Amino acid sequence: MTPRWRLLLLALALAALLPAVLRVALAMPEFGAPTAVLGQSVNALVPELRHVANMVAAVNFDLRGFDTLGEECMLLCAVTGATVLLRGARGERGDVRAGHLPGRPVIPRADATVLVCRVAATLTLLFGISVALHGMTTPGGGFQGGVIAASGLLLLYLGEGYAGWRTLVPSPVLAAMEGSGAVLFVLCAGLPLIAGHPALTNGLPLGEWKDLYSGGLMIAVNAAVALSVTGSFGLLLVEFLEETREPADAPASNEADHEDGTMRART
Amino acid sequence: MSLAETLLPVAVLLPLGVATLLLALAHWLPPRLPKLVAILVALAVCAFCVLLARASLDGPVRHWFGGWTPDAAGRPGVVLGIGFQADPASAALAAFCGLLFAAAFVFAWGYFDTEHAHFHVLMLLFLAAMTGFCLTRDLFNLFVWFELMSVAAFALTAYPLGRSALEGAFNFTITNALASFLLLAGTGLLYARTGTFDFATMGAALARTGADPVLIAGFVLVAAALLTKAAILPFHLWLADAHAVAPSPVSVIFSGAMVSLALFGLAKLVAQVFPGNAEVMGLVHGLLHGLGLATALVAGLTAFAQRHLKRLLAFSTIAHMGIMLTALADGSGTATAGLLLYILGHGLTKGALFMAAGILLALRRSADEIVLYGRGRGLWAPALATGLGGLLLGGLPLGLMHGATGLMDLSAGVLDRVVVALASALTGAAVLRAAARIFLRASGVPGPELLAPTEREHEKPDRPLWLMALPALTLVALALVPPAAVRPFLGAAAARLRDPSLPPLALPEAGSLDLAPLLLTAVLFAFALLRRRAVRPLSRAVTRSERTGFRALQALHSGLVGDYVAWMAVGLALFALAAAVSAG
Repeated sequence: MTPRWRLLLLALALAALLPAVLRVALAMPEFGAPTAVLGQSVNALVPELRHVANMVAAVNFDLRGFDTLGEECMLLCAVTGATVLLRGARGERGDVRAGHLPGRPVIPRADATVLVCRVAATLTLLFGISVALHGMTTPGGGFQGGVIAASGLLLLYLGEGYAGWRTLVPSPVLAAMEGSGAVLFVLCAGLPLIAGHPALTNGLPLGEWKDLYSGGLMIAVNAAVALSVTGSFGLLLVEFLEETREPADAPASNEADHEDGTMRART
Repeated sequence: MSLAETLLPVAVLLPLGVATLLLALAHWLPPRLPKLVAILVALAVCAFCVLLARASLDGPVRHWFGGWTPDAAGRPGVVLGIGFQADPASAALAAFCGLLFAAAFVFAWGYFDTEHAHFHVLMLLFLAAMTGFCLTRDLFNLFVWFELMSVAAFALTAYPLGRSALEGAFNFTITNALASFLLLAGTGLLYARTGTFDFATMGAALARTGADPVLIAGFVLVAAALLTKAAILPFHLWLADAHAVAPSPVSVIFSGAMVSLALFGLAKLVAQVFPGNAEVMGLVHGLLHGLGLATALVAGLTAFAQRHLKRLLAFSTIAHMGIMLTALADGSGTATAGLLLYILGHGLTKGALFMAAGILLALRRSADEIVLYGRGRGLWAPALATGLGGLLLGGLPLGLMHGATGLMDLSAGVLDRVVVALASALTGAAVLRAAARIFLRASGVPGPELLAPTEREHEKPDRPLWLMALPALTLVALALVPPAAVRPFLGAAAARLRDPSLPPLALPEAGSLDLAPLLLTAVLFAFALLRRRAVRPLSRAVTRSERTGFRALQALHSGLVGDYVAWMAVGLALFALAAAVSAG
């Protein structure tokens, strides 16, 4: 199909869809009218049942915690897939330097930059941990806190340079964090089975409403998610930033081709 | 809790836990351990699900995560948590997934020697997603497993990292990510009306509501997403690109289980959620039936015109999905039993065929039937698997697939039976033609398959033949099991997919021996092998018009993702038009 025919086909399809979309849109529940019984039941019942103030956390880590386990594994799976694609095409070598554009001078890093980055990275890490810890009381939780904590790693790259960053951020450790966080989640789900309860049963003491310790098992699940998300995003950053390093002399593709017989040309 | 109720979540938690543990420890583990562990986990999942299937014969096995049963809220119609439910059909399919994964892991032994066990981590997550997809009774949870399946599959498709693998994975990612959006949007619409995600509660709410465009739109979006995954015309275009380039052990899973699982999910939703909605059932019996017939015919013809064995098998999978969709659209008890049996028979056969193609890619460094002409002599094991597989696809009156077709035929019309026979014969004859060329040096002047795209590729060669041949032959042998052996179980499975309280369906004994598809296969096979160069003006004209037709079919599968997305929009428009017509 030429682009013109493709657009024509798409336009025809959309024209046929338009009346249906309008009809459905007009029949939808009113905008801003919270009629969902399920949401209102959660708001009404769960503070009493689980002693938590943040209903989103209660839904994510307790009521529908099993969905979150699936989502968590999805993130882990996506990061593993990205690692396979990037690392497989690039080859895995430790003895390489940061890439730089020919002709552009390499200016030494100012002490102020290093200092600001070290301070800011520490603060970012602390902020991430704080957001994760307060998941049961205020908006936030393991997912958000993990992303914030991992993004602090970028400041390390900025402040310490490629070599420093590679020593400070070893990818096997990040992979171990990512995996063990998810294992902890699976254990939270699976261990109650041994005691004869349903999976993910919240058997820990529930704590006080609006307290840092509230929600029982949710705290463990939240910590597992924070650990795993930090590892996942850290690993993703490592893989993306490795793309900037200086390419090895011999293209890695040829070696790989001889080794395992698959075509590994980067196109 | 009974043992079965405890085991129900373990079928998902075990592969998830082992996959994440392998990922955490991959840097320090000996390289062989992940392979061994993966095989054991797949077998354990299979065993657990077999236990579940047996236990669910006495009534459905349910598990409410966190103890949030439907009564927990104390308000009727409000389900706070997520439930799993094993009925015989769902548990049996999950067990089948475990078996197929175990076979694929054995087949892939030595294929992936790369560090960090990434292949096995991705595959185990894929397995967990598939069992979760089978066992859940919650629409949002279904979406989660659908999405995890997709993410794992994208990465596995691109695993060889060649140009064609990346292109195939790209098309797969774009189209199936769009399908995920559709599924999420459809779930949102259904939730907006019914206020629940639980299948049974949603079904009850739907039966109370009556005609409502929001519900129909919800069904259409969910169905379009599942039909994209199941590769039904015009949502099917991604499949051949992805299945042809993925590593063979992964293609085994894609064609053998993943696509038919999407169709099973749709069958389950239609049976459990939507039977109370007349408009939706009208779409199922009308439009889905038509799409199934069109898919079977178009993909059958395209399969016959392929020369790259994996691409040929991919199109054959699409054709068989079309056949299964006609059974789904029929919806009667016997047709549902036929659908379930067909999923098993087709999955086993197609798994074995993809393994045979993988053996050729490893040992003869090609999967092109013209390049490989006569070069497969001496490889008796893949020859046996390909020959038997081709015969089974083409309607050999033995084994599970034939039993399934017999059950589907009981309530099918004449048109259905003709199309099913033709599509089976086209795919069977195509596989047999390739087998005859590769293993027997038989030929005939190539027809339109000469124009088909092909690929120069190969897979890791230094693996022992017996280790690759063993799982392939095991799968073929299982596909040859007489259908009478599973009939009592099948009757219960088909009835309880709809309603767990129904008594088992009494399925009829094997009917008359239907040899028509096999004869048609033989005719097409002979036509392909006895074909001579067109010399006379008349035969030249015939050949020319044949080539024009097949060139148009090839042009449809352009490999450009923009085209595929445009066709997906056309598919949605078809649904909208059909809904408008049936509404008056």
